[in-house]
Amino acid sequence: MTVRWMRLSLVFTLLLVGLIACGSPAVEPTPTSAPAPTQAPAPTEAPAPTEAPAAPTEAPAPTEAPPDPSTLSIVEIAAADDRFETLVAAISAAGLADALSGGEFTVFAPTDDAFDALPAGTVDSLLADPAGALTDVLQYHVVEGAVLSGDASALSFAPTLLADRNISIDARDNGLFLNGEAMVIAADIQAANGVIHVIDHVLVPRTLTFYHFGDLSGPLAGVTAPLITGFNDAVAAANAGRGVYGATIDLEFTDTQSSVDAAVAAYDRYTSESDDILVMFTYGSGDGEALMSRFREDRIPNLAAGLSSVAFYGPESGYTFGYAPIYPEQFGLFLDYIVANWDAVKPEGAGDEIKLAYISWPTAYGQGALTPESRAYAEQLGVEIVAEELFDPTPTADTTTAILNAQAAGANVIYTNTLAFGPASILNGLGVLGLRGQFLVGANNWAMDVATYAFLSDPALAAGMISPFPYLWWTDVDNPGIQYVSQVFAEFERPIELQAVGYLLTFGGVDLAIMAIEDAVDAVGFDNLDGQAVFEALTKMSETSVLDGLFFVDFTDGSRSPHIAQIRQIQGGPDAFVVLQDFAATPDLVPAETFDLGQ
Amino acid sequence: MAIMRPAGDFDRSYEQDMAVVRQRWQLGLLLVFLAALYTLPLYASGTLVSLVNRIGIFIIAVQGLNILTGYTGQISLGQAAFMTVGGYASALLMAELGWSFFLALPAAGLIAGFVGLLFGLPSLRVKGFYLVMATLAAQFIIPWFARNAYRDLLNGAQGINVAVPFFRLPVVANTCFLGTTFEAATGSCLYRFSTPSQFIFITLTVLIITTVAQANLSRTRFGRALVSVRDNDLAAELLGINLFRYKLRAFFLAAVYAGIAGSLLAHNLRFINSETVNLADSVLMLGMLVVGGLGTRLGPIFGTAFVLLVEEMVTTLTPILIDWFPGIEGTATAALRPLIFGLALVLFLIFEPRGLAHRWTLIKAAWRLRPFAH
Repeated sequence: MTVRWMRLSLVFTLLLVGLIACGSPAVEPTPTSAPAPTQAPAPTEAPAPTEAPAAPTEAPAPTEAPPDPSTLSIVEIAAADDRFETLVAAISAAGLADALSGGEFTVFAPTDDAFDALPAGTVDSLLADPAGALTDVLQYHVVEGAVLSGDASALSFAPTLLADRNISIDARDNGLFLNGEAMVIAADIQAANGVIHVIDHVLVPRTLTFYHFGDLSGPLAGVTAPLITGFNDAVAAANAGRGVYGATIDLEFTDTQSSVDAAVAAYDRYTSESDDILVMFTYGSGDGEALMSRFREDRIPNLAAGLSSVAFYGPESGYTFGYAPIYPEQFGLFLDYIVANWDAVKPEGAGDEIKLAYISWPTAYGQGALTPESRAYAEQLGVEIVAEELFDPTPTADTTTAILNAQAAGANVIYTNTLAFGPASILNGLGVLGLRGQFLVGANNWAMDVATYAFLSDPALAAGMISPFPYLWWTDVDNPGIQYVSQVFAEFERPIELQAVGYLLTFGGVDLAIMAIEDAVDAVGFDNLDGQAVFEALTKMSETSVLDGLFFVDFTDGSRSPHIAQIRQIQGGPDAFVVLQDFAATPDLVPAETFDLGQ
Repeated sequence: MAIMRPAGDFDRSYEQDMAVVRQRWQLGLLLVFLAALYTLPLYASGTLVSLVNRIGIFIIAVQGLNILTGYTGQISLGQAAFMTVGGYASALLMAELGWSFFLALPAAGLIAGFVGLLFGLPSLRVKGFYLVMATLAAQFIIPWFARNAYRDLLNGAQGINVAVPFFRLPVVANTCFLGTTFEAATGSCLYRFSTPSQFIFITLTVLIITTVAQANLSRTRFGRALVSVRDNDLAAELLGINLFRYKLRAFFLAAVYAGIAGSLLAHNLRFINSETVNLADSVLMLGMLVVGGLGTRLGPIFGTAFVLLVEEMVTTLTPILIDWFPGIEGTATAALRPLIFGLALVLFLIFEPRGLAHRWTLIKAAWRLRPFAH
């Protein structure tokens, strides 16, 4: 044992010297502040690949009293070990031997078997491009500083020598895993210039693409822009961390100007340009409804922010998943709450009967909460829907006629399935008419947002508004998920008005997608990863906490959206969305006729 | 446009004067162009195919508007509403009555046509701005109807899902032909027009039919009557043209075209509600016609392609602009689309009031007359 150890240390030391000499561009934070030369010196002078293993193998003389292994560099240790012939050849070909003999590095060394397991011809094609692809792959196996396996298991990712590329680290029961696929089969081989961990899989720097589209130059641009900024930031933050099992996320975005037509065109473009789309993100309810059958046909899971009941549960749907309860269920939970607490929440002078006016936009989204199921539920609760009024989905819409009609019909509650300038228009209208006190105003989750305040004539008008609230809020600073988003928000120096629900929730969406893709990789591996695999991973998610409890999802048993939410009320300014009722189950208002994916 | 022809190139017969395509080589060129369009999915990117498909659908609607506004001089802001009628009609005919799409499509055109007739009635008594108001009413009444009437059928403001067009063929010699695939449930061969590269065949075929129809219309007695109504309705009436009848026919035809376009759009999107095509689209289509050239055969084609390509450009440009000037998202970018469209319209009205079709004639003339500019 000791002999072997000493031998290893010798090789290790030799390797270390080589490592320092070579170095590499250190891009990520360099923890140990090793002297990081910016470029690999003279890679072209390196010995030809075939000659490579020759020299170093002579170093440790097994039969003689072995030199102290810790005096050998990483390269020397590898060269002395017959498991790493391909690796050593590759290091020589890429001219990295010198670089890896100095400095202090952690090398994840794939065995020859690992290289053999790559698709036929991969190694040859890598060797054919020593300065490019080969160097990239090799650098992707090297982390600056010496990280022992004990320390590594506490990490979630580590930056590699390859610029902007990290590897993910997962400590599992059966060992340490890198990028979800490579297991450390022998750890902590000490070298003079670092440490070697032997892995059974070659690490490949991968890129996955997330596709999404939304409104950047259309009527809802003011509302969706924070959402899209949030998406970009969430992805940038994920890429700075572990990505998706080390894979970097690329973003494809199309501006659809709130037009379903343009959304379908964007979808067509994405699907014609790529055959293996893993996941898409949609925002509009109309987009989700128009595209649901395509998602199913093309087997692409869609993570949707527009929570229309049809898009999630319609007969032609099945591949659409959501972060929050569908609008009818949110409406149902709101009704549950006000029925149970009518005496506490009812407007002054209102009678015992709840008479509700539904005032909303004439769009798929605006009408999303009123379905046959939610109407029946209201009736069952004894809530009479006395008026259904529409107003234009523009910031300047006049709602006074709708409100007066509601008043004439005897309504004492107004519910709206709109966002930002939607609830603001109603509240402004109530303010103008001096009727704010006569109505309890309720709205869906998107309405209770700072975006609403931008359109209010008087912030005080919002006070008292009650909404189902299916996730945590920026003010829940005890939650690690919120802390993470706040930290990223601060790092990117985003203006305070972006501290909106859209920005927050997209972090959840990105986290959900990453979890699903990682589950899919666990199930089928990176090579067989496709939309269907991600879909299946999603459908196996039960009671899953997204972004450390920002919200919870459960997509098992045909469920496609969460079925729990809090009830919150605006009391004071935009930072005071006070919890009236903790997370509780929404009524089940999934349509009777729902999708059947068959088999 | 005979004056634009080189010396010596004149028509020797009435037939030649009336010909849609005057020369054989022009016909050849046209066929090559059509072949290139039909084979587009084979060599062009999915983005381009999808874009051409959308442009094709809107050209049909604008051609209808061209008959009404370009030839007959009746301005209408209701074209998008008639598209909505067509979209709902064929969707429901397929879903509720089980009609084939290829029957539902012309039926949707006819249904929209009759609705168009209703809104054409005021044209007997009112002209110009007043007629605009009357047609604007269609743009409010029809979406209102879609949202509020027959909720069981039309599903209110949420709208309805629209089936994908398909056809079935029997299995011949154990093989499915024409790109169809075997469907076990029915034991027949099925072809679904589900992607743009499949749908474009329908769009192009319908577009050819509507284009030929429109081209023929302009050189018949009926077409000349429409133009006379536009140019001087009193004179036309004195010549024995029943103004009301001709205006109504123009309304009918315009709405038929809109209905067909609306049906294509709905089946292409697989979704329609009262907002899918709206007032903004009506205005946009009028703009397309102005840009292309009112009362010309090629105007709708040029105008629609131009405006939709400009929109596509804005769509592509916005994320780039946001990259360059962070912080403009949501405010400046939201203004970009109407700004560019408005600017294009104003520039056309000032510098090329006769539209792109006229410019095209000038370009062709300049080519023929080269090396002389005039």
